[in-house]
Amino acid sequence: MLISLLQAIASGVVTGCAYALVALSLVMIYKSTDVINFGGGEMVMIGGYLAMFALLAIGLPYAGAFVFAAVVAFMVGAAFDRVVLDRMLGRALPGQSVLVAMVIATVGLSYVLKGLVRVVPYTEEVRRLAPLFAGDPVFLGPIILQRQDIAIVVIAVLLMRAWWAFFNFTLLGKALRATSQNPRAAALIGIPVRAMRMTIWGIAAIFAAMAGILLGPKLLMTPDMGSVVILAFAAAIVGGFHNLPGCILGGVVLGVVQNLVGLYISSRAIVLTPFVVIMLVLVLRPQGLFGGAVVTKKV
Amino acid sequence: MLEVQTISASYGSVRALEAVSLQVDAGGIVCLLGANGAGKSTTLNCISGVVPSARGRIRCDGRDITGWAIERIVALGIVQVPEGRELFPALSVEENLVLGTWLHRRQRNHGPEFERVYEYFPRLKERRKQAAGFLSGGEQQMLMIGRALMARPKYLLLDEPSLGLSPLLVQQLFEIIARMHRDGIAILLVEQNAKVALSVSEYGYILENGEVRLHGRAKALSEDPEVHAAYLGA
Repeated sequence: MLISLLQAIASGVVTGCAYALVALSLVMIYKSTDVINFGGGEMVMIGGYLAMFALLAIGLPYAGAFVFAAVVAFMVGAAFDRVVLDRMLGRALPGQSVLVAMVIATVGLSYVLKGLVRVVPYTEEVRRLAPLFAGDPVFLGPIILQRQDIAIVVIAVLLMRAWWAFFNFTLLGKALRATSQNPRAAALIGIPVRAMRMTIWGIAAIFAAMAGILLGPKLLMTPDMGSVVILAFAAAIVGGFHNLPGCILGGVVLGVVQNLVGLYISSRAIVLTPFVVIMLVLVLRPQGLFGGAVVTKKV
Repeated sequence: MLEVQTISASYGSVRALEAVSLQVDAGGIVCLLGANGAGKSTTLNCISGVVPSARGRIRCDGRDITGWAIERIVALGIVQVPEGRELFPALSVEENLVLGTWLHRRQRNHGPEFERVYEYFPRLKERRKQAAGFLSGGEQQMLMIGRALMARPKYLLLDEPSLGLSPLLVQQLFEIIARMHRDGIAILLVEQNAKVALSVSEYGYILENGEVRLHGRAKALSEDPEVHAAYLGA
């Protein structure tokens, strides 16, 4: 009994790390542009497909597939901001808010990406991404982990470390944070605010795509696999939605809770977990489990 | 020389500026006075490229900069310190300052710029590791000016620097503004506090309802009976 509990927690932490990457992607965009990105799940999905394309069609090694997916995902994210969102902002009259329209545009993005993947002939059969490391599972005491699980945790942690160092120690990272804290002040010292927003969209798309590659071998690759984003939304809400470390913890919490629900309640209840978590957190503790007081959003 | 030639601007259907002209010589210090809503901030925002001007031209050292993007205008050395507390609150004092060097980021060594800012505002050096959001009002104003200095301004546009500061702090701040001018930075100062602004300026413009009502040497303006009655109080 204890062993199955430990096993559930361990594999929950593994998937939770991948959810955390997607949650980071969502929160990064929300914090710097106020937009909630409903296309985040499809960014995960194209990450998986891009890696599969790189591995099977181009014949790149796995490391190359990560780089290929990252580069293309960055371009997709940045292009979406430049071609769609930037124009919407540019056409808004002073004082008029186009935020709702921008959020709806992200819903559009999700359909466009899904549609694009469906028309590529390559995606007709359902496949599974090859695991990063094949081989026998690893035993940690009584807990069994696949090599892929360990790869997920290690790569997710490395990505988060890199992300943290980038935003804290590089001038570009600081400029991106500055732009999200006060775009007007950033513009007045010569920081190109539009380019910064594009960069944030690009980086956020990379994080979602990386999660797609890590989850690819565990989930079936289908154009609908973006629905995993609901778990990332739940993770971000658990974390408070503007708290980046909180949403990483939120991802792990979600992964574990999901497995505990499967273990103690019913495996059919797993799909309901994120919705129940979202509702409970929003009703009982809307600032998130790790946030301080309720923060009133700047207008 | 920074020259504003008959610019007009409006917000939607509301006219904010009507044929405003003014000029700041290289190394000069000029103030722009007027009541709330007279168009002072709009004038600065037109110069900085934040608000487009519907008509008229803006020139800097012989170049026509009308319609340029904000960052190009900053790169030319025209740097605005906006009104209020426009900082990056979650970043430290030092990080706020270093972002002022964005346009010169290729040059690695920003030591001299930091030294200059800390010399004007020693208080910022003491608090350099602190988040900008935790600074007092006066310190935040210093940080905004410091951050603008990091961008190496030739023309510094200050929007209501005295706003919300105690009389003692206002006096100290204006001593530093006078010092920056002596050190060769041209200053265009927007103020509601006409008395203290005219005391440091060489030349002044008075805006009323988006138009230049009066202009002249600062000394002459402060002795003008009309200005006295309207802006300097009894």
